[in-house]
Amino acid sequence: MGTTANRLKGSFRDPSGFVFFQNGTLFRSVSRLYQKDYDHLVQSGLYNKLVEGELLIPHREVHSSEKKDDEYKIIQPEIVPFISYPYEWCFSQLKDAALTILRIQKQALDSDMTLKDASAYNIQYFKGKPILIDTLSFETYKENQPWIAYRQFCQHFLAPLALIARRDARLSQLMRIYIDGIPLDLASRLLPKTSWFNTGLLSHLHLHAKAQKRYESKTPGVKTSKVTKQSLTPLIDHLESAIAGIQWEPAGTEWADYYEGTNYTQNTMNHKKRLVEAYLDECKPETVWDLGANTGLFSRIASSKGIQTIAFDVDPAAVEKNYRQMRENKETTMLPLCLDLTNPSPALGWANEERLSVLNRGPADMAFALALIHHLAISNNLPLSHIADFFSRLCRYLIIEFVEKDDSQVQRLLRTRKDIFNEYTQKDFEVAFQDRFSIIKSEKISDMQRTLYLMKSLDTQ
Amino acid sequence: MTIAKTLYVLLMALPVLVILPENASAYLDPGTGSYIFQVLLAAIIGGLFAIKTYWLKIRDFINRVFKKP
Repeated sequence: MGTTANRLKGSFRDPSGFVFFQNGTLFRSVSRLYQKDYDHLVQSGLYNKLVEGELLIPHREVHSSEKKDDEYKIIQPEIVPFISYPYEWCFSQLKDAALTILRIQKQALDSDMTLKDASAYNIQYFKGKPILIDTLSFETYKENQPWIAYRQFCQHFLAPLALIARRDARLSQLMRIYIDGIPLDLASRLLPKTSWFNTGLLSHLHLHAKAQKRYESKTPGVKTSKVTKQSLTPLIDHLESAIAGIQWEPAGTEWADYYEGTNYTQNTMNHKKRLVEAYLDECKPETVWDLGANTGLFSRIASSKGIQTIAFDVDPAAVEKNYRQMRENKETTMLPLCLDLTNPSPALGWANEERLSVLNRGPADMAFALALIHHLAISNNLPLSHIADFFSRLCRYLIIEFVEKDDSQVQRLLRTRKDIFNEYTQKDFEVAFQDRFSIIKSEKISDMQRTLYLMKSLDTQ
Repeated sequence: MTIAKTLYVLLMALPVLVILPENASAYLDPGTGSYIFQVLLAAIIGGLFAIKTYWLKIRDFINRVFKKP
């Protein structure tokens, strides 16, 4: 049933099966090679236990007459509305994903199975929680077998978490460069010397990196290659407490305290909220991307209506605050993500096809660009026509706030740069955007030099 | 740093950097070091875990003996 033609581009590493699309529906083909492991996963009760614990994506088996000889089963997993990547996650999203992997590994060991990979890309945010989406990640545990995914776990989770917490939150972006996680010797060099006194980081990261270097050209002997289950479980526990012990507090960045420093009064803020809500009700989108969401104040107007909402922001501290709020309130339709709109996530990996660009994961039914245009046009010297063009490729409907030059926030931006922005006027804005969008309606926000527009992309009319 | 932590660091660092035997056959793979390291680390952590479990059992036994009226 699954053929090379409709196979998902990033699904090629594992011979156990692959993911493919047919008539717009996502399926996973399970190879005959994986038959024993798949049966063990289901018959041992592990599958049910993990699905009930919201740790593994639920699926149903599909009976198809088109099944090929080497295909054992075709399964149809539930759809994750938006695929996100670890370099788009904030600290706590990465940490929760790491703890999820370890929890799954412990439950798997209880059922005599083990995770054969620990890739951060196998975890996705589904209904507000991190969940394993690769049903074929399990294999039957063999006596005295070490955890084969140990190194991958340390590279994908431990290294970036330690770097964010102990060095700088921006180092999470190393995950964008190193597709199989941050090399441990690099992480070890970048971490401060004080991290050697942390037992978790000392053992699983620093000494681990040293051992990699020392034994890179050696083959493990039979005598030295055994790990008993009595030792493996404490090792996973130790790794779990190492991850749990890494702490980071979002503070001191430019945007995390943004709403305390704006020029909005309560009255104007309420007016803007009412307008956003009215525009939402008019278009009834199924998905919303809030570009420049900060801690998600406006995103929540959409997500609280049951709309799948992605709250993008450039600042990892703002995204962290948003995620913590989302987690505390058990919100299921909100996904906060880190994104620099001026340099959005590109297509990455083998043949640039393994990880999709942001554009390729869209378009959204609707995008918000609230209090954003002046940062793009003035801070980043982007011509209004370029912004209109990019936005028209991102979304079908757009709620966009135009901030006039007289606005105190724009004046703040102009204080340190020469005003070369003669074409930054409301008229120029409307002309530039009407090339790509039709303006459905607009309204001036009370007592402000700002106007809120509802637009529809011309491409979709 | 507590005594337990210092002990742990010594226990960890010494075998990894000095004692572990090397098999000399050419096979370049960054995963090999991780593999050998995990075997060793699991033995140490597993060993410490076993010692801790036995110690707790002994302590409970002593407590029970001496607390009895």
